[in-house]
Amino acid sequence: MPRVWRPRLDPLLLLASLGLVACSLIVLRGATRDDIQGDPTYFVKRQAIYALVGLVLMYGVSRLDYSRLRELRYPIYGVLVVSLIAVLGLAAATRGAKSWIPLPGFQVQPSEIGKVLLVVALAGFVVERLREMGRQTTARVMLLGLFPTMLVMAEPDLGSATVYIFGTMAILFVAGAPWRHFAALIAMFALSLTFVLVVAPKVGVELLKPYQVDRLTAFLHPSADPGETGYQQAQARIAIGSGEKTGRGVENATQTKLDYLPEHQTDFIYAVIGETYGFAGCALVLSLYALLIWRALRILTISKNLFGALIAGGIAVMLLYQLFVSIGMNVGIMPITGVTAPLLSFGGSSMLATFLALGLLHSINAQARETADRKGRATVFQ
Amino acid sequence: MPQRIEDRLRPITPQLAMRVAVLGGIAFVLFGIVFFRLWYLQVLTGQEAVTQARDNRVRKVRIEAARGDIVDRSGEAKLVSTKAAAVIQLVPSKLPASVREDAGKYQKDLAAAERVRLRYQEQYDAYRRQLADDDHKATAKEKRERARLRKLAATAPPVAVPKVRPNETDLIKLYERIGRVLEIRPTTIHERVIRGIADAPYSNVTIRTDVKRYEFNYMRENADLFPGVVVEERYIRRYPQGEMAAQLFGRVFEIGPDQLEETKFKGVAPGTRVGQSGLERTYDQYLRGTDGYQKVVVDANGRRDDARTASVKEPKQGERLKLTLDSNLQKAGDAALAKAIAASSYGAKAGAYVAMDPTDGSILAMGSRPSFDASVFARPFSQSTWKSLTSEATGEPLINRATESVYPVGSTFKPFVALAALDGRLIKANDIVNDTGHWELGPQKYQNAKAEAMGPINMSDALKKSSDVYFYQLGAKAEGHDNLIQRWAKRFGFGRSTKADVSDQPGRVPDRDWRQKGYEKYEKCRKKAGLAYQSQAALYECGGIDKGWTTGDNVNLAVGQGDLEATPLQVAVAYAALANGGTIVRPHVAQAIEDGNGVPIQEFHPKPLRKLKIDKGDLDVVLGGLRRAAGEEGGTSADVFKGFPYRVYGKTGTVERPPNPDQSWYACFVKDDTNRPIVVVVTVERGGFGAETAAPAARLILSQWFDVKNREFRAGSDQSN
Repeated sequence: MPRVWRPRLDPLLLLASLGLVACSLIVLRGATRDDIQGDPTYFVKRQAIYALVGLVLMYGVSRLDYSRLRELRYPIYGVLVVSLIAVLGLAAATRGAKSWIPLPGFQVQPSEIGKVLLVVALAGFVVERLREMGRQTTARVMLLGLFPTMLVMAEPDLGSATVYIFGTMAILFVAGAPWRHFAALIAMFALSLTFVLVVAPKVGVELLKPYQVDRLTAFLHPSADPGETGYQQAQARIAIGSGEKTGRGVENATQTKLDYLPEHQTDFIYAVIGETYGFAGCALVLSLYALLIWRALRILTISKNLFGALIAGGIAVMLLYQLFVSIGMNVGIMPITGVTAPLLSFGGSSMLATFLALGLLHSINAQARETADRKGRATVFQ
Repeated sequence: MPQRIEDRLRPITPQLAMRVAVLGGIAFVLFGIVFFRLWYLQVLTGQEAVTQARDNRVRKVRIEAARGDIVDRSGEAKLVSTKAAAVIQLVPSKLPASVREDAGKYQKDLAAAERVRLRYQEQYDAYRRQLADDDHKATAKEKRERARLRKLAATAPPVAVPKVRPNETDLIKLYERIGRVLEIRPTTIHERVIRGIADAPYSNVTIRTDVKRYEFNYMRENADLFPGVVVEERYIRRYPQGEMAAQLFGRVFEIGPDQLEETKFKGVAPGTRVGQSGLERTYDQYLRGTDGYQKVVVDANGRRDDARTASVKEPKQGERLKLTLDSNLQKAGDAALAKAIAASSYGAKAGAYVAMDPTDGSILAMGSRPSFDASVFARPFSQSTWKSLTSEATGEPLINRATESVYPVGSTFKPFVALAALDGRLIKANDIVNDTGHWELGPQKYQNAKAEAMGPINMSDALKKSSDVYFYQLGAKAEGHDNLIQRWAKRFGFGRSTKADVSDQPGRVPDRDWRQKGYEKYEKCRKKAGLAYQSQAALYECGGIDKGWTTGDNVNLAVGQGDLEATPLQVAVAYAALANGGTIVRPHVAQAIEDGNGVPIQEFHPKPLRKLKIDKGDLDVVLGGLRRAAGEEGGTSADVFKGFPYRVYGKTGTVERPPNPDQSWYACFVKDDTNRPIVVVVTVERGGFGAETAAPAARLILSQWFDVKNREFRAGSDQSN
């Protein structure tokens, strides 16, 4: 049967991603008008270019058979680790925190792209050892996931590190690792967290930088420290609340306009939406995200093979985790960790990584449908 | 080629389906949480956030109100006014902690040094008292000891201002930058900072007032080069009259944290400058004014966004304080006092005068020398300025000798002794006493000045010629009459505050109880320390009251000597009571509070403190004596007032103040044939006889008041006490 070219993009997933990008551009245009003197569209222009590049990337990836990537799991993992080490090396050379690799013309943030690479590589490893889904497999996969996590944490990029952990656990989960493994993992996680936050500082070893501890604990008592982290969160909540039902509009959004809201193009963009467009705007963005997650999980279920299901699961959980943490810290229910809202926050690497992930989802979707067509049966829950 | 794994698997197993359902469930819950959180924030409590957001961006910036002016009774002469000036200040909290530590240490050292000085002061006073009490003339050795103590008591040991710590490189650089712009040496800036913080720990330290326009602009535009520096336009006080009444006004500086609690400063915002002493403090609530504010839109960095509209409430200048002082009389009084001091042949440097309306206690003029240019209050003090204002070497110009210095008053006290004696029936007005120039009480010999014999005299004569022998006898007779003299003295206001609106001292009327208590304390202290009676060590340790009360003390009191102490203002109040028939007025310098157009808002008419019941005949005897003293040939001040066109009632006083030369006093009033009655009291330390310096100065003051042409300084020749 000759293969007919058909753009097998999932329309709802595409709609959600385009909708979010559109929201991002609209919000950035209002919020960042005064940020760069003499260039009111500095952020919007760049974000639009990132989105366009991302869309092209997504389309390209969706045309490929993702299954091929399974064989490339070692090189992919290698690229991931090497790029993360390269970042650390550069940071050491410049004696500062850095998560960027400068390339001619632009910079990439390997930890962002790394999220997708990690998911693909781990999915490959898991598929390989599927028949023995024992303790050893779980442990190995966790170790494979934790190594790049540590590298990212050392940058230091605590937010991305937690994304890596959740991505790894999502793959194990979808692969069917026993529940007790997760129970054990969660217990270990809790223990290590206690160790890092409580025990180690007591004996004089500071594993986290003080500002990281502050950020992690500030949301628990926002009024205790209105000066630093708590201040940011308090301002974000004021911004969101003051938007009320329909928002204050770009002109009257004083929290954004007068810089009370820090990082309003990245970490706190959701608060800008809340202030400018109110509950209506927030709910719209939230439903676009819900649509995105729903489609990702849906594609997981129709994947023609487990490799695709694992990738889709990893991506879905990573996206869900990122958007929840990002929005959560805007509305004051999660700590400030520097996790950006996918497709919404300004940033090229994040945008490209997300579109890369979406491209994989589209590819899984397209492959599943093609297989179903070939086998002449409809997938179970279309 | 092995079969590909995925081809062997079914795409979805029940386990996978279950796990996806779990993921979906988690996602659903998370979205639910966010949704309801948004609902809570935006719909349920959104209104609160709107308020918070509004408060966030609007700041009230205080606009300082100018303090009200202080003017004289005519309303024309401005004594204190206000002008806007650019000032450069440093905010202590923005400076390194080491600076505040050093300032704290400096303050402690200063206090310790002052305690040392006070201890020497006590010793000096005790020693001086003992030498005076002793019958023999001071020996050379005693004089040396006295001089040594006097020197130690005069000034506290110097305290060095801590140098800037060399590791505070940022601070040193900041000082250097400020220094370059303002042309001040960095060490001077540091000294000002340390002293400023030690003086008022919570106020900004003023580095320089009246900064030039371009310096001001430079510092304001380059604010990032000057962290912790406040560049502001502020109101500063001006004192157009220079030295005139300089001791009265007091200082103005930022309210302290403790003062914010005081009811006097209710509603005053932190950082407001309020009156801290003198009239500025007493009438602060009127002078202070009402600060305005500007509501400005600010961003998170505190930058003002001037493009956005904001409301302004203009500040309201403080009310005008109109004093009872007559600036012309004040000028004449200051000049008269200066002449009297210059005329003294005993090296006088200090003195004071009070001119008061005897009917209501309005102080018409009041001066104290040495004085100082009140303009020093407009700026931060340098250490040398402060020292020159407060050290004994310069005569402590900051002290208002008219109300804050207490002296024995000498013969000016005699009228009150006379009234007491008449009231206590110790003597009748016409009883004749033969004044031989001497009088003995047991072994103790007393005499008139120069031992001049005045012959047979009655009470009126005794006042006219100021016979000591006459009053010695009254003093001795009064002993055992239940503190007769003391009771009358206190009725006239001696020994207690005048309740004036300027700071004053109560002085002292000595009696048996007071002396006995002091003596008991001395004995107790002496025995405890195991020191010999009347030894030098006991004197230093336990004070100078090493004897109990004797009749001799009452004898001394009767001529205004001994332990009696009073301020010139108290004497003026007592003489006013003689002039007005027994009313003890409450002296005051504030006449009214007026608005900017001179319309009175509130007038001050302090009620008299009390009305004395004085027998009319007794009073007439005393008034007659005072009138004859100033207006009849042979009276103590008659030659001073010769030809003066008004009826002056006056009494000279000459106080022996070993080791110093005599202190000259004159107290007088004019009450007849005028609707402008006045009481004038003048005293000159080291001024000699009362007629010599104080009385001529009083005449000059009266001449100004009654516009009498002859204004020569006419020293009298009388040499009585």
